[in-house]
Amino acid sequence: MAEPERPPMSLPGGPAGGEGATELGPDTNTLEPAPSAAVSPGTEEPTGDAKKKIDVLLKAVGDTPIMKTKKWAVERTRTIQGLIDFIKKFLKLVASEQLFIYVNQSFAPSPDQEVGTLYECFGSDGKLVLHYCKSQAWG
Amino acid sequence: MAENEFLEEEAFRQHCAEFIKHSEEIGDGWEWRNSKDCSDGYMSKTHFKIKNGTSVTEHVFPQAEADFEFYSDDSEVLRPTVVSEVIRYEYHILYSCSYQVPVLYFRASFLDGRPLTLEEIWDGVHQFYKGRLLQEPWSTITQQEHPILGQPFFVLHPCKTSEFMTFLLKDSEKDFRNMNYITSWLSIVGPVVGLNLPLSYAKAMSQHDIKPD
Repeated sequence: MAEPERPPMSLPGGPAGGEGATELGPDTNTLEPAPSAAVSPGTEEPTGDAKKKIDVLLKAVGDTPIMKTKKWAVERTRTIQGLIDFIKKFLKLVASEQLFIYVNQSFAPSPDQEVGTLYECFGSDGKLVLHYCKSQAWG
Repeated sequence: MAENEFLEEEAFRQHCAEFIKHSEEIGDGWEWRNSKDCSDGYMSKTHFKIKNGTSVTEHVFPQAEADFEFYSDDSEVLRPTVVSEVIRYEYHILYSCSYQVPVLYFRASFLDGRPLTLEEIWDGVHQFYKGRLLQEPWSTITQQEHPILGQPFFVLHPCKTSEFMTFLLKDSEKDFRNMNYITSWLSIVGPVVGLNLPLSYAKAMSQHDIKPD
């Protein structure tokens, strides 16, 4: 199975410090705006004090397409299902294709799980790392 | 790393034991059962659900008529007639020597003993999974004789298990030594058949990590 080509992991326009996705400027993010207001490239509000949004780093697994923008500011109350729908639209997957999200590289949270809760359990360095995979789990 | 990761039987038992340990801590109901001659074993869980999807354990299910008097017009509340709508789900996790992976067996019945059909079981599955599952149901779930009990169970076919578990481990610092295979696998396949794992399993199993993040 061929290893997919991965672009360098450097964040577009990202700062050296840990402020996260808030520093992404519109000029570095050439993609169309996120369909859901709850998931944004982080140009709207600071994640530092308000903490209404958390930084999520999305990593592809297997032969799943890689998202050009990997770091997103996501509202705490956004569910895993909502995030999956967003990623599927972003990657232009058809509705019938399954996408899985894993936390801690090993566990698939339920679709109703809120991103904020996952961040509290598994977040580190001010962000939550989630892996996503298009693999067929059954059939 | 090998092309496909397989789980050896001894590792399966160890991971089950770890899993059950956490289940006991949170009262999730999983237990280990041995076959009559103790040569084989499997994990088992039974839980009850009201047909509209609300899950209850046996302990909290109201038995006395008097419990219902308190409620007046709340449509969400259990009514005496709901007894016929309680469903008993059984989940068994066995090891498959031929596929070298765990396999999920399940069945469901009403309290009067009437078994549920596969369609009726899927009524209780989260909407999130229904679309995909309903497209190709028969290629994924079959009805087979339980290898130890000899009774008919539905089985989630294990042919893709090794593949997606390998995807999970690829590019990851984890291997079977510092993650719990059962927890990971069940978190992925369980919800398709109405079995959800509380997040605490993920936290508990990650405490076995030997590498700092």
